[in-house]
Amino acid sequence: MADLCAVVGVGQTKHASCRADVSIAGLVREAVDRALADANIGIDDVDAIVIGKAPDPLEGVAMPELWLADALAAHGKPVFRVHTAGSVGGSTAIVAAQHVMAGIHGTVLTIGFEKQSDGNAMWALSVPIPFGMPVHAGAGGYFSPIVRGYIKRSGAPSHIGAMVAVKDRTNACKNPYAHLHEPDWTLEKALESPMMWDPIRFVETCPSSDGAMALVLMSEERADKHPGPKAWVHATAMRSEPTAFAGREQVSPRAGEMCAEDLWRKGGITNPAKEIDVAEIYVPFAWFEPMWLENLGFAPRNEGWRWVEDGVTDIGGSLPINPSGGVMSTNPIGASGMLRFGEAAMQVMGKAGEHQIDGARKAVGHAYGGGSQFFAMWLVSSGKP
Amino acid sequence: MSRFFLSLQEGRLEGTKGSDGRVYFPPAEFDPVTGEQLHEWVTLPETGTVVTWSWQSEPQPNQPLEHPFAWALITLDGAAVPMLHAVDAGDMARIRTGSRVKVRWAAERSGGVRDIACFDLLEGAS
Repeated sequence: MADLCAVVGVGQTKHASCRADVSIAGLVREAVDRALADANIGIDDVDAIVIGKAPDPLEGVAMPELWLADALAAHGKPVFRVHTAGSVGGSTAIVAAQHVMAGIHGTVLTIGFEKQSDGNAMWALSVPIPFGMPVHAGAGGYFSPIVRGYIKRSGAPSHIGAMVAVKDRTNACKNPYAHLHEPDWTLEKALESPMMWDPIRFVETCPSSDGAMALVLMSEERADKHPGPKAWVHATAMRSEPTAFAGREQVSPRAGEMCAEDLWRKGGITNPAKEIDVAEIYVPFAWFEPMWLENLGFAPRNEGWRWVEDGVTDIGGSLPINPSGGVMSTNPIGASGMLRFGEAAMQVMGKAGEHQIDGARKAVGHAYGGGSQFFAMWLVSSGKP
Repeated sequence: MSRFFLSLQEGRLEGTKGSDGRVYFPPAEFDPVTGEQLHEWVTLPETGTVVTWSWQSEPQPNQPLEHPFAWALITLDGAAVPMLHAVDAGDMARIRTGSRVKVRWAAERSGGVRDIACFDLLEGAS
């Protein structure tokens, strides 16, 4: 039997398109200091550190973990880097939780970060990399045919993406750390936004951000003695599959479905839409909200877009999705997954401020990466399992 | 780190002082001993000592000098750690470990490590 693990501290940076005021080390440390302050512990109390960021070409810095030891105060402690493309923030938090659940460490600090202004993700995703399939057109060019596939099979009207975009941008205005604060979006205005990768409009894409998220995790023994709210980790799940193979289901990848099924089973959830109070899911292009609602087992197949249209996923709806503004409003790639996991923890800890969902007790964090091939999820609650 | 690059542009060498009193140039942003952010800045002189070196007999494009020169680890006077830079020694026979060197500033400075064009040997001191 695994030990229990709880989130006792959450800290994130102010996210922006260019944090010219800090180095990568300074950016990481900003999130770390906030997480430690939130947990009310010192850096000496940390036993081990688990960090993650997206592939090195995105910042043009190879293996940044090699020079971050000072900023992480990691001297004489284990540092572990996780690497699963865009889902890395999620899988990094899971590896950190597993350090605790395995009974190896009592207090683990975990960080996801990306300083995209130091590189150019669009071109990093476009250059041919040895032994890999070149994307050539960045992430939008890769995902737009998949979104078209979803629209064709579900019969979704063309304004659904714009509705998600307006919701997320509006939600972000309640989150002081969010990159984009654009309060003036309306559906009419969003529908006039330039078409980038048909059917994805400019407003339906995520920004490119600098930012970091850090979490402090503790074992049950330590968390029980620790004052303050906690987010108990009820379940974690990860699944993966290759980018391309004959007959692959691209709109709703099997690995994503399996990841969610595993999470619900481990967490004792039989009706996710009813039992989950709020979810932070990885939506870098607006159309992925209805697509993931179906993939994760919240909505029936081909019905996800109706939930968007009916306001189910609004902050006042029955299943609020991304009250923080989500990836659509803040996307420091290596941090984005951990932002989802951390925001889910903040909700059940009652620390989400203006975008707090009243009475949230069970929340889900979700991340995906690569060509929709790496999936990571966790289920957290204000109470122990 | 802005302060380090801006001071180079203004023709000054600024390092940081660690909790154990050691001065780092180029500056350490976080204390290698305690991990705390370092805030105490120290202005260093333009002179230093070669700790070790290697001769570049055929310079490549974009290297600091177009004629043969030495890559050297140089500890500035008052600093605890060396930095890598180029020494315009003219001839390999003129440089050795222990050689005294002085900063040659770039004519046009832009807030980067290349604001130091290279180091010159201090005549008669080596």
